[in-house]
Amino acid sequence: MDKKKILEDGLLEQYLLGELDDKTQKAVETALANDADLRAQFDALEEDFERIAFENAVAPPASVRDALEARIGDTVEEVPVRTLPNTNAQRNTGFWVAASVAAIVAFGAVWMYNQWQASEDNLKALETQTAALQERLSKLEANYEETASRYQQINNTNVVPLLLIGNEKSPSSKATAYVNHQTKEVILNAKGLRELDTDHTYQMWADVEGEMINMGLVKTDKDYIILRYIDHAESLNITIEPAGGNDHPTVENLISNVIL
Amino acid sequence: MPSPETHIKLIERLQQGDKSALLGLYDAYAKALYGIVIRICEREDLAQDVLQESFVKIWQKIEQYDSEKGRFYTWAYRIAKNTALNAVRKSTPLIQTDDLSVYTNKTADLPTDYSELNGLLKKLEPHHQRAIELVYFKGLTHREAHEEMNVPLGTFKSYVRQALSKLREAYPKEVLLLLLLVEMIGHG
Repeated sequence: MDKKKILEDGLLEQYLLGELDDKTQKAVETALANDADLRAQFDALEEDFERIAFENAVAPPASVRDALEARIGDTVEEVPVRTLPNTNAQRNTGFWVAASVAAIVAFGAVWMYNQWQASEDNLKALETQTAALQERLSKLEANYEETASRYQQINNTNVVPLLLIGNEKSPSSKATAYVNHQTKEVILNAKGLRELDTDHTYQMWADVEGEMINMGLVKTDKDYIILRYIDHAESLNITIEPAGGNDHPTVENLISNVIL
Repeated sequence: MPSPETHIKLIERLQQGDKSALLGLYDAYAKALYGIVIRICEREDLAQDVLQESFVKIWQKIEQYDSEKGRFYTWAYRIAKNTALNAVRKSTPLIQTDDLSVYTNKTADLPTDYSELNGLLKKLEPHHQRAIELVYFKGLTHREAHEEMNVPLGTFKSYVRQALSKLREAYPKEVLLLLLLVEMIGHG
């Protein structure tokens, strides 16, 4: 808008007093922003009007200030102190509601995922544990069957338990032989025999009409050794032989025998 | 008048949400604004409500105030004037729609202290004084005021401009006299 027109039409005064319509007001504001001289005139005008107001000031009663103070305190939650341009309370409320819901859904999803992962881990752990338990149960069942079987082999009326006690060569040695003539089985518990060095081993022999027949090697770390059954055996004999066993017994190394 | 630095800080605090700053602005500007409001309302109880409401609006709209566009007082004046005019319209039967002379003689109800204008305005010629009174202290538009004074609009506008020009010429002399007086007292 033309500066001359603004001044001659008294638009600066009307702008100051808030009388102008929006279009004219914007035109004056643009002119003020672009014309330093016009702006200086407006500044002076503002100063004059403000001075006139203070020269004609009237003190309001204190009750107005008190009421204002009370109202500010009462409405501090209701009156928005700051409003952002191009936004409104409803939009803000909607945004925050949406943001809250999104946050809850996000947290929920993360929580559900964590729960799912934890369940997966638990399931895997349980599966592993179950497999281990099944394996252990299988072993226990196998052991039980073996033990029951051994028990049946030993605790049988057809079984003759024979105690072999060490002679002067090995006085502390003891072993128990279980002989079943019905099933032709010989089982030996050799845990009571004295331990030998790695170059020697115990070996059991059956005496059949004076001939010593090999029944097998005897390991001292086993409590259940199955040996060969020899028909018509008259006695059972344990000798100390070189490691790996011997074809013929070393009679001078006989440590125990028992007559059947 | 309050110092610019003081009121700028108060405005910034209020814009940042410090409600106590509103009371600071009230202390600085309430008297000047009440001087306007009571002359428009011509009723003390209504004027007091209008003043309170004006400061609540200032608080609510403080974000809209742009110091680049003008003084805080000018902005607050517009709010107070519009609030007062609305309050008067609501509280008065709208018989004045076609008769703007309703404003005439209303000042008879106003306490004498408020009806009289003070300061340098008193030294202006009566028609200049009246022109400023109508647009500034009564809230009339230029169009309403020129009819009120029964002079053409162009003439009325020139009254306003002449009045303001004479005030501007007078103020520096007043300030000079005041400074001279202070200087004399200081040396006396």
